[in-house]
Amino acid sequence: MKSKWSIAFIVAVCFLLVSSPVAAHHGTSGYDMEKVITLNGTVTGFNWSNPHCLVRIEVKDSKGDVKDWVVELAAPTLMTRNGWTKDSLKPGDEVVAETHPAKNGATTGLSGASTSILKFVVNGHALPFR
Amino acid sequence: MPNCKLRLNIILPVIAIFSSVLQAQTVAPAPSAMKHDAPNVAHVPDLSGPWAVVGGTPSWDPSDPRGLKPDELPMTPWALERFKAARPPFGANATFDAVNDPVQKYCDPPGITRLYGYPWQFALIQSPGVVYILYEFTGLWRPIWLDREHPKSPDSTWMGDSIGRYEGDTFVIDTVGLNDKTWIDQVGHPHSDALHLIERIRRVDQDTLEVTVTFDDPKAYTKPFTGKRTYKRGSSPMEVTLCSLSEMQSFDDEVMKTTTVTPKK
Repeated sequence: MKSKWSIAFIVAVCFLLVSSPVAAHHGTSGYDMEKVITLNGTVTGFNWSNPHCLVRIEVKDSKGDVKDWVVELAAPTLMTRNGWTKDSLKPGDEVVAETHPAKNGATTGLSGASTSILKFVVNGHALPFR
Repeated sequence: MPNCKLRLNIILPVIAIFSSVLQAQTVAPAPSAMKHDAPNVAHVPDLSGPWAVVGGTPSWDPSDPRGLKPDELPMTPWALERFKAARPPFGANATFDAVNDPVQKYCDPPGITRLYGYPWQFALIQSPGVVYILYEFTGLWRPIWLDREHPKSPDSTWMGDSIGRYEGDTFVIDTVGLNDKTWIDQVGHPHSDALHLIERIRRVDQDTLEVTVTFDDPKAYTKPFTGKRTYKRGSSPMEVTLCSLSEMQSFDDEVMKTTTVTPKK
């Protein structure tokens, strides 16, 4: 399914450096933790499994090109403790999702771990974040 | 007491399951170890938990908890060589590419002191002759024997041989017999099989636990050092987060590798 949404990048310098850091089992050195971008798109998959939950989002940029993003969250047990469930997202959901993008420009992002979850708005409703 | 139900929910099945396993797996302990005799203590503090780390700093170095100067621990040449070969996920030497963290790469057991740094909970089950510590991460557990000494020549194992005693409100754990395959923290500090750990666990208040660990490893460090971490009472029942190598490899393919190569335009 192709998204009706266009991609919007909003840069928030030092956003999480001044709040609680995101931690994942693999560390964060592959991501630009000083930058938060916002993805507008359609969920194509939600992998609720270890070591980290993954959200696949189809995003259309300003030129109309479609890109497939993979957004990383915390492990299921940790996401559950923050109010998420395996049914929080499903294919076809329209999302506005904040993420720390990969430093190398890959369409991969980090949006949640043990200490922080960035903002996810699904079909107009915000999921728990902190 | 709010924790009674939780404790019973943990204690009853675990004791039932583990008692037979322990009798089968424990290697030649002193005969008294199997008696579960009650040690002569007047007061046993309730340390049951579950407990969740506060802050989760990656290093045990008391002067550098964030691991920004990890080479400042007093390492011997033996340890320094291993430390320089480590490619950890956290600290000043953090890397995403070709990490050789044995937990991340092989799902190896993290080791006792590294388990204290993960965001998953742990809980203590206190019985008269033995205390069990259960860890959510990877489903590990360990016994701390209250009624025997260490074996004279313990095997080198992932979790070592632990004995314990109560000193007032503090539970003191003495561990030897650890193999040298784990890191002591998330920033790649090594240890040898001569590592002698002293863990001191006490409740600061109803909902706060303090764990102080002293590392004495003359083969790896020129002098002992002591680190401290604080835990809050967990808000959820104990669960299990396993480390599956197939899941880890799938994650590496889909996420890790994409962030460490130049993407196609």
